[in-house]
Amino acid sequence: MNIETMWLVTILGAPLAAALLLPLLRGRGVRMAGWIAGLAAALSLAATFALLPALQRGDVPALSFEWIPTAHIRLSLHLDWLTFPFLVTEAAVTLLAVVYTWGYHRQDERTPFFYALLLLFAVGMSGTTLADDMFLFYIFWELMLVASCALIAIWGEGERRGAVALKYFIFTHLGSLMVLVSLMVLYTATGSDSFSALRAGVTLAPALVTTVTTFFIIGFCVKMAIFPLHLWLPDAHAVAPMPVTIMLAAAMLSMGTYGILRFPLSIFSPAQLAPFVVPMMVAGLVSEIYGALMALAEQDIKRIIAYSSVSQMGYILFGLGTLTYDGVAGATLHVIYHAIVKALLFMCVGLVIRATGRRRIAELGGLGRAMPLVAICIGVGALAIAGTPPFCIFASEWMIFSGGFHTAHIGLSVLTLLGSLLTVAYALWFVGRIFFGARPEGLTVKRLPWIMVAPTVLLAALALIGGLFPAPIFDWVAHGLTLILGGGW
Amino acid sequence: MWVVLPLACLAGGAFAIYLVARLLTARNELLALLTALVFATALGALAPLFRLTRAGYLPRWGHFGSGGAFLRADPGALMVAGVALGLGMLVTVYSGRYLAFDDRIESYYPLLLLLVTGLVGMVMAADLFNLYMFCELMSIAAYVLVAFRHRLATAIEAGFKYLIMGSVGTVTMLLGLSFIYRETGTLALPLAMGAPGPWSRAGLGCFLVGLGVKSAIVPLHTWLPDAHGRAPSSISAMLSGIIVQSVFYALLKVCLGLGFPARDLGTLLIVLSLFNMTLGNGLALVQTYTKRLLAYSTIAQMGYIMLSLGIGLRYDVPMAIQAGFFLLLAHAAMKGLAFLCKGVCHFYCNATRIAELRGTAARMPLVAVTFSVALAGLAGVPPLAGFAAKWFVLSGGVQAADALGFLGLAVFLLNSLLALGYYLPLIGTLFTSADPSEGTETFASVQISLWMVAPLLILGALVLVMGLYPGFWLNWTAGAATYLHGLGR
Repeated sequence: MNIETMWLVTILGAPLAAALLLPLLRGRGVRMAGWIAGLAAALSLAATFALLPALQRGDVPALSFEWIPTAHIRLSLHLDWLTFPFLVTEAAVTLLAVVYTWGYHRQDERTPFFYALLLLFAVGMSGTTLADDMFLFYIFWELMLVASCALIAIWGEGERRGAVALKYFIFTHLGSLMVLVSLMVLYTATGSDSFSALRAGVTLAPALVTTVTTFFIIGFCVKMAIFPLHLWLPDAHAVAPMPVTIMLAAAMLSMGTYGILRFPLSIFSPAQLAPFVVPMMVAGLVSEIYGALMALAEQDIKRIIAYSSVSQMGYILFGLGTLTYDGVAGATLHVIYHAIVKALLFMCVGLVIRATGRRRIAELGGLGRAMPLVAICIGVGALAIAGTPPFCIFASEWMIFSGGFHTAHIGLSVLTLLGSLLTVAYALWFVGRIFFGARPEGLTVKRLPWIMVAPTVLLAALALIGGLFPAPIFDWVAHGLTLILGGGW
Repeated sequence: MWVVLPLACLAGGAFAIYLVARLLTARNELLALLTALVFATALGALAPLFRLTRAGYLPRWGHFGSGGAFLRADPGALMVAGVALGLGMLVTVYSGRYLAFDDRIESYYPLLLLLVTGLVGMVMAADLFNLYMFCELMSIAAYVLVAFRHRLATAIEAGFKYLIMGSVGTVTMLLGLSFIYRETGTLALPLAMGAPGPWSRAGLGCFLVGLGVKSAIVPLHTWLPDAHGRAPSSISAMLSGIIVQSVFYALLKVCLGLGFPARDLGTLLIVLSLFNMTLGNGLALVQTYTKRLLAYSTIAQMGYIMLSLGIGLRYDVPMAIQAGFFLLLAHAAMKGLAFLCKGVCHFYCNATRIAELRGTAARMPLVAVTFSVALAGLAGVPPLAGFAAKWFVLSGGVQAADALGFLGLAVFLLNSLLALGYYLPLIGTLFTSADPSEGTETFASVQISLWMVAPLLILGALVLVMGLYPGFWLNWTAGAATYLHGLGR
């Protein structure tokens, strides 16, 4: 076990250990829960960055051992360039969500369990990206779901939180089952459950390739909340406590993207995937327009941003579906930039709700003067999500559209471009309604804890910096893309 | 000689315990301890047989006709017998406190021992008559134990219904036995003969129906919800945990031993399993009494076992047969745990309906946690035993070669999704706080007796261990799977 493997284990081990220790806190120790969780999340993020030099050297940190020899099941962890951007995104979002929780969550004797479940959620996401075998991949995939479902069911807002959690579980589980079936087919075809066998190449009958890819894409699209598989998302995001919503929207949705990149795109060749180009592009287009229209129609500010997620995932699926370098690179970049901007938007929405006590957009207005800092942040977020330079999403959207124009389906790409007008519409309308105009009756603004405002400002800054200096992140993504589609880039 | 030793232990113990109870002491704890000791001795007597059968040799006992035997220990029988003895021991320890307010305990423990005697004899029977005899012994003990709380009209009704349907089943078996004897002139299993003639086939049909009644194959299952729902929880744990499954194992042995082609038996099992799964899960969704819900869950899980074994027999996939046995083991632990937990809730808080389970987490956190472990395991949530079983069933199932197998697999996946609809709300109910206005009394925190805590903890740990480290248990089922597979060739 060398230093690299140690860092690899820390990425998962730190939050997992904290999650197991937190429920043991009693009495005065409950106040330490937030600090312990923050420390674990910080360690996880630090360990991820600590492995960056190793990756740049060309090493591939990995850890594996036999688990069930008779069934050829190994447990393996593996960090490569495809994993790295997703892992960084997820670890950073977790840390920011934990810091936000310090200000957001009301302390009571169940607080350690809240942080423990939050960290388990993070472990599920990190583990999904790090897993190098099907067994671990599926276990962490389900852990994401179980932890977030428990968080929604126990700490969600409103009477319906139990029903919402159940709907979320069943819907997402259906997607997971489809993924599991495809994984099983691959497991039977290669004889072992390790991804290294998949990387070596797998031969399947054409009909089976189509079935497996279809199941993978549908299963992962449930996680990405692509129309019409998005039905779990608006309720789950609206009812979940804010830190959970941040993690759901910013990090968990991108796990679907990771899945599509890791499985169908990495295993099969462009020729085998050609039948899926148009369906994926069309699904992305429909999702984009549907999400934007629903965002315009919604009244609850959390749900508006939730539908915005549906729309943005549509962009990502469109980019993936083009199967061009620009499109796929743009989609992966969009995952990272969208994480920053979506976390920013949700944090701002959380600040507005905390300050005013109101969630409906009709009851809000004219907050610009009372909350200038939040107004600037949400302005940055809205401009960013609309794809305005110099903010980060402009770069990734440019590449996605460019990818679309490199395919033969110019019409779809034009429609996608026009669809982005709707994004501009809801983004600016959202900001305008809340922060400009006349203030409604009885709208009071409370002071906000700086611990909640600080991560928001940080994210706004990151959105700007990411747009001005895209080179480092783009570099990571470019390395990862050589691993996809048979290294044909 | 080794073969008959466990049976002698159990039967002798039954009579000894009865004498002790009538002549020496009627103290529940003492009788429980002695009975547990008898189980332990029987387990110890079973242990050498495992070693003996590992080499492929099948120890026999008794002379019956030319070259026949009374009893033959095969790996599958030993596995089932081992589970029965282990579960019986835990149930006995549990009864040490659970029966504190019951009378006629001097018949309970001997009947329990006779129940397990019948079970062990039935699975080890080497000829049809002994199989019938031990099956009857087991059944009669079961009828009385189901109606054990004889002051309750519902218990008597359930026991009587079980008696009538079970007796019809055994009489049908006897009829089938006579048909087979008429054609072949021998009752020894397995029959060394070619294709069965018309009388043998009629006899086989009778056996299928007769043993099918007892192993809850739809539509012969209608006694099960009442019997398992109204028996004392300790008996329900035995019934659902291992008795239904042991009769199913005997059914397989009889069918394959009498010359039913493996492929046809597999087809039949797959078709029947579709009904079991769907009906079991569908009806469980609408139950309001906890034990009836668990009983219908048993019908559904039997469907899963039947599907896996059916696929293994029809498509010649040994992995699927192994998966079926693994699921049998896992289910015994999980369902046994679920029933025992429910019994604790009934004993201390008088909870029979699902709604009355609210507040369990506050009053008896240990029971809430172990009950959740059992239910989550049954739902197939990683990293518990049920998930490992689901994984193995799927990995065997994707090797099915035609439409029927894939249909069975699709129904299996959809049903495991459907089952979430009653497992998850039940777990949620355990952790919901009791609402005084609804009429459920709130109790203070309850001290649970060690007699009950120990089996709960042991089974809970077992469910976890089987999920985290399934390799050992999978190897244990390999012998049984090989034997059954060999019977079918």
